[in-house]
Amino acid sequence: MPKIIMFTLAEIPAGTSVTVSRLESHPETCQRLRELGFCENATIRCVTNGSSQLICEVCNTRIGLNYTTANSIIVSPLQ
Amino acid sequence: MINSERDISIQNIAIVGNPNCGKTTLFNALTGLRQKVGNYPGVTVEKKEGRITLGNGAEVSLLDLPGTYSLSANSPDEKIVCDVLFGRITETPIPDVIICVVDATNIERNFYLLSQILDLGFPVIVALNMYDVAQRNEIHIDIKKLETTLGVPCIPTVASKGIGVKEIIKTIPTVRKSTTEMHHTLLPQPAEEEFNELVGLLQSNDKMQPFVARHEAQTLLSTPKDLHSFKNTISDETLSHVRKDYERFAELGFDRHSIFVESRYKWIHKIYKSSVKQKLNGQRTIHDTIDGIVTHRVWGFVIFFGLMGIMFQTIFAWASYPMELIADGFDLLGNEVGALIPPGDLHDLIVNGAISGVGAVITFLPQILFLFLFLGFLEDTGYMARAAFIMDRVMGKVGLHGKSFIPLLSSFACAIPGIMATRTIENQRDRLITILVAPLMSCSARLPVYTLLIASFIPNTLILGFISLPALVLISLYLLGLSAALLMALIFKKTLLKGSKPPFILELPPYRMPSLKNTLLHMWERSVLFLKRAGTIILGVSIILWFLATYPKLDGGTPSEKLAHSFVGRAGHFIEPAIHPLGFDWKIGIGIISSLLQREVFVSTLGTIYNIENTDDSTVSLREQLQKDIDPVSGLPLFTTLTAICIMVYYVLAMQCMSTIAVVKRETNGWKWPVFQFSYMTLLAYVGTFITYRIGLWIL
Repeated sequence: MPKIIMFTLAEIPAGTSVTVSRLESHPETCQRLRELGFCENATIRCVTNGSSQLICEVCNTRIGLNYTTANSIIVSPLQ
Repeated sequence: MINSERDISIQNIAIVGNPNCGKTTLFNALTGLRQKVGNYPGVTVEKKEGRITLGNGAEVSLLDLPGTYSLSANSPDEKIVCDVLFGRITETPIPDVIICVVDATNIERNFYLLSQILDLGFPVIVALNMYDVAQRNEIHIDIKKLETTLGVPCIPTVASKGIGVKEIIKTIPTVRKSTTEMHHTLLPQPAEEEFNELVGLLQSNDKMQPFVARHEAQTLLSTPKDLHSFKNTISDETLSHVRKDYERFAELGFDRHSIFVESRYKWIHKIYKSSVKQKLNGQRTIHDTIDGIVTHRVWGFVIFFGLMGIMFQTIFAWASYPMELIADGFDLLGNEVGALIPPGDLHDLIVNGAISGVGAVITFLPQILFLFLFLGFLEDTGYMARAAFIMDRVMGKVGLHGKSFIPLLSSFACAIPGIMATRTIENQRDRLITILVAPLMSCSARLPVYTLLIASFIPNTLILGFISLPALVLISLYLLGLSAALLMALIFKKTLLKGSKPPFILELPPYRMPSLKNTLLHMWERSVLFLKRAGTIILGVSIILWFLATYPKLDGGTPSEKLAHSFVGRAGHFIEPAIHPLGFDWKIGIGIISSLLQREVFVSTLGTIYNIENTDDSTVSLREQLQKDIDPVSGLPLFTTLTAICIMVYYVLAMQCMSTIAVVKRETNGWKWPVFQFSYMTLLAYVGTFITYRIGLWIL
């Protein structure tokens, strides 16, 4: 099986779509992220990626995240 | 508790939905009740109730619940929704029918909440709102299929145009609970068995209804909280079973925190795929480009401060014409009414007390309306959430996140809605800090004080050829309030309310054309509120103040000596030693005491005092009187530019608003925090003004 390359969402350039692999944060934060659509295998599109914040689109909604939160979302390229 | 399929007598209906799905607009369309519509998370923070008449003539109650993404009850706002649905609020009955508003352009995310509501077994009507936008975006929804799959009626609506409203009213009496199996979270077999066992225990041990038991079982199994926090509501036997379930889930290789959300989304994806066809294009949209600019780390701030600059410049420049008209109108009214009443106490009471006191405040109505026009526009277009997003960088420096910025920005209009908007903040400590510092943001009640003093004592010159000095001073006062708020937040975060910075996750609503109707409606509501206050509290205070500033009477003597002899003169002289270090005299002291109730009374107080002092029969504008007032001892002007700046600094930092104190008491459940807030802000105002005065004396 080929090895899947993993990134954090903060590392994804604007305009790229990725799949959520797993969440690595405090359980309460993970619960909130999942409820907003960031659950495992969901597709996310990165809209803008600034120096410490980014905007992404998940389930047709734009969500603004800071890097601390974005770093807890582990993603992989779209299969 | 929940109606059976056959017998459904409808009396109470509730509207639920995600933030920004147009829930409040639909509520307005259904009830005709007027209410503010915004599009950043958390605009609906109060209990909003209306009445609708059904087709059979029956009148039922409609409750607009705050926007929520789920029933997890993370923030106080979301807790209200759960409490109403589970019948935990005594004065609010459990709804008989629920209208679940779903953003038709965002079905996947909105269906998460819908699935939780369906799980509870309520009879539900789904309003597929913003259906026109979905069609424009080429999202095709097979409504018949959706209705069959969900087992509940689905009605396309465009709440802003009233489309679909009649259909909802027609459907309400016929609605029944979902006809489909209530298993929106079907777990893998071994986990499902454990889950069902727990549901059974909650029903038998804890006497829960089947639907509530299912919801509670999910909460217990997935909660990130310690099980001790459930001790008061769940029996020990059930809790020890939950602990065993945790171990069992781990053995089976299931993540108990994520398994329920994942299975719910699996159900949603299945429905979405079968009922919705959406044309996907990976192209960069115009919205992406706008977001890239307005949230840019440099341009974002340039645009934000540019917009604020335009806002304050406009408030000063455009509002001056209607303000002059209103002021002239009140002068004319004073003179006309004065001519009808023979000279004496009644003449003075009406002309110098009531008309000049109320007139001094009403003059500022146009500026307040311009402020609301701008803030409403920023909110309705979707920019406000972007402003909160970029401000997260600044707020992060003081340990808060961007979400706290929305209540602070709303507090520019009034601290009361600002403080209520803090209910969207999940972290209790951060919410408290935001409440404590929100009144430091310059609200519209401070505008009359600022603009009277700026117009009287700040020269109307241009800096760099295009920035007017008065507008610059005004924006500086707003920035001083903002800086003080951030500094105090930092101090509170480091001392009283220590805690780590919470994660920042903020929904950014789509850009929308602002609705002129909504904005005008909101401005109208604010005008009525402002005029009501002017007609009640300010009129009352003006009359009382006139009495206190006229009696006891002194036979002979100058008007100044008469005023000094009066009750109010004595009170002013009494506190003068305390405020003398700030460069204030006893007349300003009277203004500060009388405006403890609300800030704009300061202006009406000066209006009353100076009209009593004025020997001339004609009404002279307050501005001229302040400029002309001479200290009888030194012969120097009483009001200087420095005095005006000191008064403004005092008003930036001081609490001076009883309504805010009452709201803080309600929001924090006690007197501890409002008393603390009033004390720290008064101390801050005193120290801030003292420093300003000393520096001013040293420079000038």
